[in-house]
Amino acid sequence: MLKYLLNRLFWMVPLLVGISLISFLIMHLAPGDITSTEASFNPKTSEESRQKLRELYNLDKPVIVQYGLWLKRMSTLDFGHSFASHQSPVFWQETDKDGNVTKGMIQEALPITLLINVLSLSLIIAIALPLGVISALTQNKMPDRSITIFVFIGFAIPSFWLALMLMYWTGVSHNWLPISGLHSLGAEKLSNFAQLLDTLKHLTLPILISGLTGLAGISLFVRNGMLDVLHQDYITTARAKGLPENTVVYKHALRNALLPLITIFGLSIPGLIGGSVIAESIFAIPGMGKLFYDAVLMRDFPVIMGILTIGSALTLIGNLLADLAYAWADPRVRKGVAQ
Amino acid sequence: MQQKPKTLKTVLALFSFLLTTMLIGCGQQKTESANDFNKAYPSEAGGTLVDTLSGEPSGLIAMMAGESSASAVASNIFNSLLKYDKNLELTGELAQSWDVSADQKTITFHLKPNLKWADGKPLTSDDVLFTWQTVTDDKTRSPYGADYKLVKKAEAPDENTFKVTYAQPYAPALDSWSGLHILPKHLLKDQDINNTPFSRNPVGSHYYQLDQWKKGESISLKRNPNATQGQAKIDRLVSRIIPDRAAQFLELMADNIDSMGLNSIQYARIFPSRPDLTNKIAQYKELGNSYTYLGFNLKHKPFDDVRVRQAINYAIDKQEIIDGVLLGLGLPVASPYKPGTRWSNPKLKPYPYDPQKALALLKEAGFEDHDHDGILDRDGKPLSFEILTNQNKEREMSAVLIQRRLKEIGIDVKIRVVEWATFISRFIKTGDFNVVLLGWGLGLEPDQFNIWHSSQQAPGQFNFIGYNNPKVDKLLEAGRLELNPDKRMKIYHEFSEILLEDSPVVYLFAGYGLTAIHKRVKGIDDPAPPAGIGHNSYEWYIPAPLRRNEMSAD
Repeated sequence: MLKYLLNRLFWMVPLLVGISLISFLIMHLAPGDITSTEASFNPKTSEESRQKLRELYNLDKPVIVQYGLWLKRMSTLDFGHSFASHQSPVFWQETDKDGNVTKGMIQEALPITLLINVLSLSLIIAIALPLGVISALTQNKMPDRSITIFVFIGFAIPSFWLALMLMYWTGVSHNWLPISGLHSLGAEKLSNFAQLLDTLKHLTLPILISGLTGLAGISLFVRNGMLDVLHQDYITTARAKGLPENTVVYKHALRNALLPLITIFGLSIPGLIGGSVIAESIFAIPGMGKLFYDAVLMRDFPVIMGILTIGSALTLIGNLLADLAYAWADPRVRKGVAQ
Repeated sequence: MQQKPKTLKTVLALFSFLLTTMLIGCGQQKTESANDFNKAYPSEAGGTLVDTLSGEPSGLIAMMAGESSASAVASNIFNSLLKYDKNLELTGELAQSWDVSADQKTITFHLKPNLKWADGKPLTSDDVLFTWQTVTDDKTRSPYGADYKLVKKAEAPDENTFKVTYAQPYAPALDSWSGLHILPKHLLKDQDINNTPFSRNPVGSHYYQLDQWKKGESISLKRNPNATQGQAKIDRLVSRIIPDRAAQFLELMADNIDSMGLNSIQYARIFPSRPDLTNKIAQYKELGNSYTYLGFNLKHKPFDDVRVRQAINYAIDKQEIIDGVLLGLGLPVASPYKPGTRWSNPKLKPYPYDPQKALALLKEAGFEDHDHDGILDRDGKPLSFEILTNQNKEREMSAVLIQRRLKEIGIDVKIRVVEWATFISRFIKTGDFNVVLLGWGLGLEPDQFNIWHSSQQAPGQFNFIGYNNPKVDKLLEAGRLELNPDKRMKIYHEFSEILLEDSPVVYLFAGYGLTAIHKRVKGIDDPAPPAGIGHNSYEWYIPAPLRRNEMSAD
């Protein structure tokens, strides 16, 4: 088992290097660099100063040399500094000689996105699991049909539209929830508990919306998994044994039906750090989606590469965790790995 | 185990119950004050004004940052030597007065006495000199150094005098000194300007100083007790960062913000139909700072022929674009200067919409529909081109209207919309385009050497349409050497006239800047003077009865 783990971890390194090389090349395929932003299209700026900037950032060197420089820095986990944002560190915070701390850009955006995604994923699971089970148990009957229609509406509805409608309803028509942002103005004067409540209120709509759009995938997955399992011989056996229906459904069927979900969760680990540009823009949340989107528009290469690298590392780790969890949950797989 | 379905139901019920109570619980009815926002109130100090930014500034040192959000915030914190008054004439800000030497090469600025930084330290000509050294330093990663590098010698002979000498007279110099925020030497002299925490925690000398910057959320400014220009009325300015304009609008409707920029639909369609909004929110309209144009690649045939350019100019109905795209909220322009300012030549009129004249001019140039396919042609080649523009709704919509009008006289137009960075590096820099639809600033400084002079055509420079007219070159050179405003005016009036006749670009429109401000904010000039409503923002005030409760956004 340990050998298997080490082996997997070892192969992650060349894989990561390969992924980063491809990302780097693709990123450079898009025309333009930090000196071709909209703000730099200003007759008060000069081409010489732009050329100077390009040299300072090594953008005048061949792409493969730039990649080498980046890889060399990354080997010490140095994510570098943003081109666009006043040389802010991309990931780790920095302290200058006067003791001023500058936080990393990803470091600041990550906790917010993580919090929203973890909460909305929990919401999705909490609702999608029962919905999926109910659907499977009432296959092709009223509850199943209405649940399927409901989750598909949630999936198909444009989230920005729904977000704006809910913002209008809960924020303008009624003064129930704040419209955008993370904190109310002056919230820092409140008690800790009130501040927490304030933040939770701000997060309600974003989490609700991303939860609603994510419902369809998992609930249908659970439904189909359940249906598959319910037709298995061992379920018939269980019923024949005279076990109560609840035991059959929840102990025998559900546990087996949940196995494929492990893969989904493994794959959703990298998704946890990726924010939605649309939701973050509408709700004015300074998260990862907006950070990445702005970085792409500004051709802020260190930030783009930083986010891509973290994302790909998490994808690989997520895969590994999913495999391990599978082995833990399913004795058949465990045997396979051991051999 | 057997209890599971029941448990589930209970949990679900409990959950929905909690959610409902939570929603109702925080639904304390907003105390809709019975205040009459339309009443007049005497001016008084205090209060907080909340506005919005669409993007977060990367820092507050404007020469380093460059985004509009950075200069919007920084211009409340920092002073320049000069500024533009409400009629867009240059006047002193930190400088009390300035003299230009007889040979027009030396400008001497006399600073106002007893200037102070927000931290109480004296602000002297030494700081000005330091700022000049910083912006011209080769190590400074600022794209704005070019104007200041023309200064051959800068000196600070005494505390209140700053003197710059140019190798030859440079008329745009005065404007350049209105755009350079003076930085405090005592805080920055040992810092690397490219990467200094000062940019996130600045100390300036203007009406406001930074109070709190919540990353990604808001920037709060408070009144600077040492302000060099007197005291502003409003105590605090808070700028909330809300990227989405629809969300900004909802916040405005819910009375969580006081001011935002509007688009034409919000201004001309939504507001008039909502008395509840117009009751508490005032709309302002001021001439914007840019114009939109259709620019020809003059190195490509047939755009080297002035008759073709003029024909296209006659064939485009500018008023139709203003009505359709801007819902009437724009002006046609006939020169690259703000209408109503001294640089704009009042004699010039935009090309009228006249398709017959367009056809006649094209015929003169050899274009006729010889093969009767509905498209004009010359030497067997159809008159057809591509309009290239970036992802900008106004520009895309204008392009569609132009496409239709040109089709009517037999010109085949395709439209291509590309993302900005691609647009610049793939098409503009390489000169690989026929016609572009873009915008330029309606500069307060009339010098437009970089845009129209024939020497400015190298890749990355701004005369990418390849305009080359020796007469214009001479005028642009002369305009740079002349510091006397009246003589300069004549030069630029003549320049605009030739430019209009030559038609290297078709001026489409200059849109209005549209702003909504809550009526609790008083003291705003309406109609706006040429400098816009913001010119006296330090005199705006919020009468105490109309103020929002602190910690109101419950």
